Amino acid sequence: MIAKLKRPRVLVPIALLAVLAVLPFALPDSKYEQSVLIVCFLFAIMASGWNLISGLAGYISLGHSVYLGIGMYTGAILGKAWGIDPMWLIPLGAIAAAVVALVIGVIVLRTKSHAFVIITIAVLLSFQLLAANLKKITGGSDGLIVPQPSWAVDLGNMPYYYIFFAILLLTIVLVAVVMNSRLGAGLVAIRNDEGKAATIGINTTVYKVTAYVLSAIPFGAAGALYGQYLGFVNPLGAFAILTSVYLVLAALIGGRGTLWGPVLGGFIVAFANEFATTSSGGVSARVLIMGLILILTVMFLPAGLLPTISSRLARRRSKGSAVTFIDQAAIAEQHDEIPIGRLIARSKADVDRATPILEVRDIVKRFGGVTAVAGVSLTVERGSITGLIGPNGSGKTTLFNCMTGTFRPDSGRVLLDGADITGDKIWTRAHEGLGRTFQITRLFKSMTVLDNLVAPLERTSARQMAAGRYSGEEVERAREVLDFMGLAQFETQNAAALSFGQQKLVELAQVLMLRPGIILLDEPASGINPTLIGKLAHVIKRLNQEGTTVLIVEHNIPLVLSLCDHVHVLAGGQILISGTPEQVRNDPQVIEAYLGPDHMLEVPHA
Amino acid sequence: MRDLALTMSGVEAGYGGGLVLQGLNLELERGTVTCIVGPNGAGKSTVFRVISGLLKPRKGSVLFGGKEIGGLSPGEILRSGIAQVPQNRALFPEMTIHENVLLGGYAIRRDRTLLKERLAMVAEMVPMVVERAREHAGNLSGGQRRMVEIARALMLDPALVLMDEPSLGLDPKSVAKVAELVRTMATGGRTVLLIEQNVRLGMNLATQGVVMEQGQVRLTGDAAGIADNPEIATMYLGKARNPTT
Amino acid sequence: MEFVQVIAFGLLLGGVYALLASGVTLIFGVLDVVNVAQGAFLVFSALFTWQIWDMLGFEPLLLIPVNGALMFILGWAIYRGMVIRVAPQGPGMTVLLMFGVALTMEGILNLVFGNKFKSVTPPYFSSSLTIGELVLPWPQLISGVVGMAVLGLMYAYLRLSWAGRALRASAQNKDGAALVGISNVKTSAFAFGIGAATAGVGGVLLAIMYPIYPATQYDWIARLLGIVVLGGFGSIPGAIIGSMILGLTESFANTYLPQWSSLFFYGTILLILLFRPQGLMGTRTREDVA
Repeated sequence: MIAKLKRPRVLVPIALLAVLAVLPFALPDSKYEQSVLIVCFLFAIMASGWNLISGLAGYISLGHSVYLGIGMYTGAILGKAWGIDPMWLIPLGAIAAAVVALVIGVIVLRTKSHAFVIITIAVLLSFQLLAANLKKITGGSDGLIVPQPSWAVDLGNMPYYYIFFAILLLTIVLVAVVMNSRLGAGLVAIRNDEGKAATIGINTTVYKVTAYVLSAIPFGAAGALYGQYLGFVNPLGAFAILTSVYLVLAALIGGRGTLWGPVLGGFIVAFANEFATTSSGGVSARVLIMGLILILTVMFLPAGLLPTISSRLARRRSKGSAVTFIDQAAIAEQHDEIPIGRLIARSKADVDRATPILEVRDIVKRFGGVTAVAGVSLTVERGSITGLIGPNGSGKTTLFNCMTGTFRPDSGRVLLDGADITGDKIWTRAHEGLGRTFQITRLFKSMTVLDNLVAPLERTSARQMAAGRYSGEEVERAREVLDFMGLAQFETQNAAALSFGQQKLVELAQVLMLRPGIILLDEPASGINPTLIGKLAHVIKRLNQEGTTVLIVEHNIPLVLSLCDHVHVLAGGQILISGTPEQVRNDPQVIEAYLGPDHMLEVPHA
Repeated sequence: MRDLALTMSGVEAGYGGGLVLQGLNLELERGTVTCIVGPNGAGKSTVFRVISGLLKPRKGSVLFGGKEIGGLSPGEILRSGIAQVPQNRALFPEMTIHENVLLGGYAIRRDRTLLKERLAMVAEMVPMVVERAREHAGNLSGGQRRMVEIARALMLDPALVLMDEPSLGLDPKSVAKVAELVRTMATGGRTVLLIEQNVRLGMNLATQGVVMEQGQVRLTGDAAGIADNPEIATMYLGKARNPTT
Repeated sequence: MEFVQVIAFGLLLGGVYALLASGVTLIFGVLDVVNVAQGAFLVFSALFTWQIWDMLGFEPLLLIPVNGALMFILGWAIYRGMVIRVAPQGPGMTVLLMFGVALTMEGILNLVFGNKFKSVTPPYFSSSLTIGELVLPWPQLISGVVGMAVLGLMYAYLRLSWAGRALRASAQNKDGAALVGISNVKTSAFAFGIGAATAGVGGVLLAIMYPIYPATQYDWIARLLGIVVLGGFGSIPGAIIGSMILGLTESFANTYLPQWSSLFFYGTILLILLFRPQGLMGTRTREDVA
């Protein structure tokens, strides 16, 4: 970790910031330069803040400048009322922005929806209207004169320069902390695959709303100061959509999702804007230029400058040196001696060992005119390996999805450890000890294998969100789990680089990090080669020996029959038979379900 | 000489780095109903993807009516006379049955008389599409849905019809209806290729059987013989209990 | 009587909104693209109307087919040239792209027409139709009726033509559409064209109702997208209901609480989203039986 500090990507920006810190003293007669840099700081602050919700979590906001305006008005109104420098109201500006963001976020960010981007525009325009119409408080469309600072006039803009600079530094620190925290990891997971994130225990709603609120705070803080710097606030200036354009553009050009990209972009856009103003002047020209740059960036530089440059550099560096090749079939030997039981042991109090770990009662699920599951009741005994099989279309996947929470059954109940979880959120199920894998793996492709493993969360708490991404015992545990699975060599690889079979094993390892009482495996053997199937079977048995209950939905009947203690066979949306593998194998009904009824052969062909 | 509708020889195909079909040879005689069976992962669906142009074969040839179709686009293959009835919901749920069937004739939409003829032909073969023309496809039962899907595929009067698990999720009555329709198609000179997981049921629908395992054809023969072959049950359900470790 | 008047007004206004919002929801339904440039399309068409009317002085309503065709071509070209390339990067990037298109168009319009209000004032501009005590200004009446009529025509076209069938098929089931030989790319370009064409027609209607200048695009896009969020993404009936709600809210607010009308509408949206995150007529994504 310390070695990382010496890398150019950390050193260069720190050196540049140091230059900015001494600039006003090095160039005492630099009033104009300072004023330009103040705008740069402001843009960099906003772009970095925006980055938290739109860069990390991938939820695009087009009206984020509303929080700058809220900060500006907070400073102006309270500064006047209390007769103090709005400068001192910076924290209150931040709080006001955070409160509004919380309300908006709670309403709009509960589901994965396109409504968010639209509401952000509507919120901006609403505040413009509010400011114009609440004349008694805001002065209407004429705006307010903001109380001026009490410091000596000959200091010029220097104090502003340093306060904006300080807010920028704090914002960068905020973003850096978030990016390196579990919150940041969770947000990137949400951007990658929100549905999957929920299955590993990430409370996506809380995460998104938190990111949204945090992203508003730098805006509010900077706004309180910016109003004073400008000397007046009015609705069109404070809640300008053009400001949103600038900051979106800044983050996009620099590289959203990175720490320094939005900062760099802020400087670029502010300089470009200054150039456009001094050379052509009109607002219309600026709108046109910014629009064109936005189109060109989206089309030709979608990742932004910094990520593009660093991937070019990486490519050049790797030229000549041997290309890192991943043997897509290789898995090291499993390490059975690793005490996997201790690593995944779950201390859940007050559960009667005799209660079935998972039970469904009278589940019915219809799709249009098709009844996929027609009243199924079954139990999964604690400590068993249970199989759920049935011909295609028998409803087993639908039933599986009702257990995991992907579908809400039309009627019936799902019980985990005897408690009703039918209506629980997917992440709550994960917290309660229900883990699942996917038939087509859904690892977070932009993350390394290790990052994928430390992403799962056993609960939602503020302390955990704030904790470092690699803090606590999780990393150690993740490494041991990888070792146990024979995957240790892939720790630093991107999940996308692995073969499908390897990804399946990594996904199982990921679920183990939840310390699940029961693991639901969705066709674990489909699409992987026989050797890997053998390894998988071995892992499943080992986990089971250590007390983990496993439910397998699978097409590979020989595998299920050789692995399971108990098998439920579904046909036509109902339980056909439940029993031991031997009973199932020899049951005429099962043979008929798969191979067809004997008597049909007697029907002569036409 | 046999009248071959489709000939696949030495076909290799797969996804990403993997090879699913490993030198597959398959011949379909005109006017027959052939059913491919085999355990999951044998490559049955991949055969369909190759024939319908969704997956380009890496090696080998696919001849349809004497012409190579191995590299053609799905649209070209559709127009050359191969229609597909897929396994998943392929209907337009918020449209009526009539509209769904009509859209089957999208490729011949400019020829109004032909379109009318086809609608009449399909109405005769699948009467329910007229009887329930105004109902929305999203509200149909599985069996009705399947009939509409087949009717839609027939709008282009295909010489070869690919059906992916036509009996999937259907009750016996509906299966019987589908079976009847399949036979009617074959009697009219169409060639039908089915995939079925359920061996005996599939062989009951078909005249010819093909058993696939691990990307290759293991057995071919007439349907009755395949259904009685004891090897198949082992292939599906495994031998006596033997732990895989 | 004032009450009836207000309702009539609201419904007429809703008729215009319904046409415009249908364009947005259509594009979304087929392409999964949130077209934030619809407001800019609209303002572009309105200013074009003003220009022609100012130069030649003839009946602005005659421009409806011209503007419709013009915007169809523009929408089609934007899809073919830009959207199709950005689409694989997901809805977030297409929103940003369309935002860029909106700004670019606003900038061009600013340079050409200046940042001033332009009003189209045909002879009937300040006259009204009086039925008993009901007084309906001609511009509102004409716009509302024409808006609904064009929407009706569009709806019929989508129901009865092959292009319309292909478009609906593509929106409901992309794989199924490909299976019967429908090109999803061509259909998407067509949908984008139709969506933009509604703005072309709507621009003419707005031009005779309201003074227009380039930056009003933001008000329009916020209203139209608000309607779509309220009604549920991709649902045309939802867009119509949402439009009527907006029309009525604005009409009532204008009469009883002027200046607050947009706020009422946004407030309504947030309130409804609180209870129905998918909008009034929206459905949760359909999942397949596996």
